[in-house]
Amino acid sequence: MHYGKYRFVASFLAVPLLLYIVFVISPYAQAFYISMTDWSGFSADRNFIGLGNYAELLSDARFWRAMWHNIALLIVVPLVTLGIALFLATMTTVAGRRGMVGRGGVRGSRFYQVVFFFPHVVPLVIAGILFAFFYNPQAGLLNGMLRLVGFEWLTRPWLGDTTFALPAVMGVLIWVYVGFYYVVFSAAMKSLPTDVFEAAVLDGAGRFRTFVSLTVPMITDSIKTSYIYLGILMLDGFALLQVMLPDGGPDGSTEVVAQYLYRAAFTEGRFGYASAIGVMLCLVTLVLAIVVLRMGRRDRVEF
Amino acid sequence: MTPPHRSALDRRQFLRRLAAAGLLAVPGAGVLSACATSGGGPTTSVEGEVSAQNPLGVAADAGLDVVIFNGGYGDEYALYHQDMYRKRYPEAEVSHTATTQIAQEMQPRFVAGNPPDVLDDSGAQKIEYATLVSEGQLSDLAPLLDAPSWDDPNVKVRDTLLPGVVEQGTFGDQFLILNYVYETFAMWYSKPLFEQRGWAVPTTWDELMAVCEQIKAEGVAPFAYGGTNAADYVLDLNLGAAIKQGGLDVVRNIDNLEPGSWTQDTVVAATEGLQEMVAKGYFMPGSEGLKHTEAQTAWTQGEAAFYVSGSWLENEMKGIAPPDFGMAMAPVPVLDSSSAMPATALRTQPAEAFLVPSRAKNVNGGMEYLRLMLSKEGAGKFAELTASVPGVKGATEGIKKTPALESLSAGLDAAGDDVFTWQFRTWYSPYSQLLKTELGNLLAGRTDAPGFLAAMQAETDRLAADANVTKYSR
Amino acid sequence: MSIDARAPSATPSRSHPSRRAPEGGSAGERTLNVFSHAFLVLWTVLALVPLLWAVLTAFKSDREIFTSPWSLPTEWHVENFVRAWTTANIGRYFLNSAIVVCAAVVLVMLLGAMVAYVLARYEFRGRDVIYYTFVAGMTFPIFLALVPLFFVVQNVGMLGTYHGLILVYTAYALPFTVFFLTSFFRTLPGALVEAAMLDGCSHAGAFFKIMLPLARPGMISVGILNFLGLWNQFLLPLVLMPDDDKYVLSQGLAVLAANQGYRSDWSALFAGLVIALLPVLAVYIAFQRRIQDGLNVGAMK
Repeated sequence: MHYGKYRFVASFLAVPLLLYIVFVISPYAQAFYISMTDWSGFSADRNFIGLGNYAELLSDARFWRAMWHNIALLIVVPLVTLGIALFLATMTTVAGRRGMVGRGGVRGSRFYQVVFFFPHVVPLVIAGILFAFFYNPQAGLLNGMLRLVGFEWLTRPWLGDTTFALPAVMGVLIWVYVGFYYVVFSAAMKSLPTDVFEAAVLDGAGRFRTFVSLTVPMITDSIKTSYIYLGILMLDGFALLQVMLPDGGPDGSTEVVAQYLYRAAFTEGRFGYASAIGVMLCLVTLVLAIVVLRMGRRDRVEF
Repeated sequence: MTPPHRSALDRRQFLRRLAAAGLLAVPGAGVLSACATSGGGPTTSVEGEVSAQNPLGVAADAGLDVVIFNGGYGDEYALYHQDMYRKRYPEAEVSHTATTQIAQEMQPRFVAGNPPDVLDDSGAQKIEYATLVSEGQLSDLAPLLDAPSWDDPNVKVRDTLLPGVVEQGTFGDQFLILNYVYETFAMWYSKPLFEQRGWAVPTTWDELMAVCEQIKAEGVAPFAYGGTNAADYVLDLNLGAAIKQGGLDVVRNIDNLEPGSWTQDTVVAATEGLQEMVAKGYFMPGSEGLKHTEAQTAWTQGEAAFYVSGSWLENEMKGIAPPDFGMAMAPVPVLDSSSAMPATALRTQPAEAFLVPSRAKNVNGGMEYLRLMLSKEGAGKFAELTASVPGVKGATEGIKKTPALESLSAGLDAAGDDVFTWQFRTWYSPYSQLLKTELGNLLAGRTDAPGFLAAMQAETDRLAADANVTKYSR
Repeated sequence: MSIDARAPSATPSRSHPSRRAPEGGSAGERTLNVFSHAFLVLWTVLALVPLLWAVLTAFKSDREIFTSPWSLPTEWHVENFVRAWTTANIGRYFLNSAIVVCAAVVLVMLLGAMVAYVLARYEFRGRDVIYYTFVAGMTFPIFLALVPLFFVVQNVGMLGTYHGLILVYTAYALPFTVFFLTSFFRTLPGALVEAAMLDGCSHAGAFFKIMLPLARPGMISVGILNFLGLWNQFLLPLVLMPDDDKYVLSQGLAVLAANQGYRSDWSALFAGLVIALLPVLAVYIAFQRRIQDGLNVGAMK
């Protein structure tokens, strides 16, 4: 049995690992090597400079400012997105009709299940363009609606305002990503055993209590995984910001690390330095993943 | 039964495993990582016989690979130029690529040593010229300049070009880039609108302030700008006025990264004037949250009177501006009547960089292609299709002109030799984003004139002191 | 504990009056109820309005898009769609995307499940290393790998080919797939597998005949998410598919969108977007019911 097991494992891993190493690991490894050179990206010459790029990076104020923006995204967006997604998923899969917690969702759940995913189908580039219209200070829907309900004083030049530009972008990110995690959490909740919920109802637990004490603990793994994945997306965030605010936003208040990296690589001809930025980003992301994975491992619920 | 928990890893063990994962893919390990960046050896370009008809020695059967930036000018003109090439060299296979992602698509080709023969390097995703120059990736175009022109063999190509084209494309002592379009920068407005409202086009700063006040009183914003991505367009207003007032030395100092160049008298005066305009609310509210296309659209709808931009404006707004808009241009005002340059002076910056990579397979063919672009036929077709002025003398004669082109031609005639450029933005890439950020701050009221100038000076000083940056001077 | 193959949870509660909590619940429950429903409705509106607006805008002329963005089109410019279809080649790109993405999703789900299964349920040396290698693969920004990747793909002779792009898509979707599926496989109970193996079933057989079917909910959701992620992926094809007749849809749209910075054919952009989105939405809606039923096979006990 023993040898059969190893042969089986190997056979299952062979093809995927090969693909992965050739097309993913090897380019990244080369990029890692490039980060230790002064390659400009446009010719074949480069000189090995060891950790020179990293030394420069540590004292680069613009890099740290961009990193700070990423951290802001990292803190706010997953919290709001996952929160909303959890709520929507609960309501439409296990919240049940009045009193019937645990069996299906509220009325109209089938409709909601279809519609809530729609925003995620829109490519980020397009969402960026759509929402740029939305945020237009004169002709945009947001200010238009605010004016309509008499909140003229709340109107702002959203993407041009140093305080609100980044939150405006966060809004778009949340809009796009809720759908994705809604599907993930729905699937997770649908796999939960209903008898636990029935027991809870018999004990008189309401929706909220059920949610907090039953649903969440049972899908913790899903939540953690989702948090890591969304966190990584926030750290790597590029496409949306590049479409809406390609020059770093008002007074540079929205530039993220990926944009800085892109600029270094393609506009300033410093591909080596850009690769170093990428490696730093990778390290930060790994740390995040590890921290979250190890957190609360003891609390995993078995069933 | 559930699978056993992964045993609690202690940190060191964990990190060691991670390191092992990373080391799994050390470069050079493995059959398949034929070193990705194998830049080829020196490529020899094909050559043909030099003759009177073929002064550049183009190989008649060599293919020509042309890459065009598919932006404001489109690529239709390029197809026409390629037809011209085919007529002259029927055996040559000409390939045409049009894209907006120049840097991303061309980078692998430059690295691999097989760049195109002609590259139109422009747009937001262009490869910075300074980078290509410092890596020696561009062919010296001197043979092109000294060759006889397409139409008249007695006239050298060099002499058919408008003033400034050669200078703009020269780095050090080599002419490396042909900037094809003679872009002019000015304040654009709707002539019918101004005539209807009785607004006078200003020539001095005082007149500008007066007409702005008048316009504002009628409920129109005097100026609009695209704050999120094009705040730097407005630089023409303050720096342009400063240069016209103080003369060419003002801009030379800035280009040469001189200390105190950004605090020269006229620069300070003009920027303070700009600050005053901001304070008086002469810029359309909400501009700081607009993209340039949105600001321009508002302007074509009559919500703003002036818009500072380059001469691509009409083409860019085709289909959005009403057909009776009557776009016209006005030179940026001088500070007062004691200016060094006349009020009609214009900033004309040859742009739309066409270059022939040094490693191209058909360098001579590439140069020949540029030569035909500079012919009367080639240039005329371009002007006709794009309503812009190519950098060749007489290109716009006899073609049907749109309102903006009409106004532009008249303005260029009035300016004559009183044209100027600035180079610091081409030579030093950090200025691009810095200008957008800082001018955006100034226009949104987040900083004042001294603050703006200090930020610019700080960057200038930093660049001057940085030994890794290649310096140019004029 | 038995597998519960109960019908979808739409069974009304009225047949089991004894199971119902007090009618309506407490006052707190009721307000929560109202807010909850209100939020559901609100989110529906938020989700749909931008898309509906995009569809409406696709019928307008360029000028109208800017002058009256929020009103109905005065004329329904169907030619925008024609323009998007022909000049922007949306039809051909759609086909290219369909070929590449479908093949890649099938491949990655199969390979990813194989890897995830092995990582989740077997102990062997190097298991954690492999797992973290996959996790690490998700963390590096993709456009840094683009230039080396271009050469790797060129060196194996797959540049500009469908199969090349499919393999690369698969490779880049593996980390996410393995990551999600591993945690999913870990939660599945092993009782059935043990029983089957005792009866003489092979490892591979256990996987294909027992675990895969059990993992349907997770596989389906990850499959959908992979499909979308790959459908909207455009950096990889940008570098690896230089011929414009092999462009995939996202690439075509991105190029169209990039052009907006220079030439304002907004109406064609929106029309192109709508053409691109509607089929995907339609497929999702149709497939949705299948997913519903698949996901409702009930919980494992």
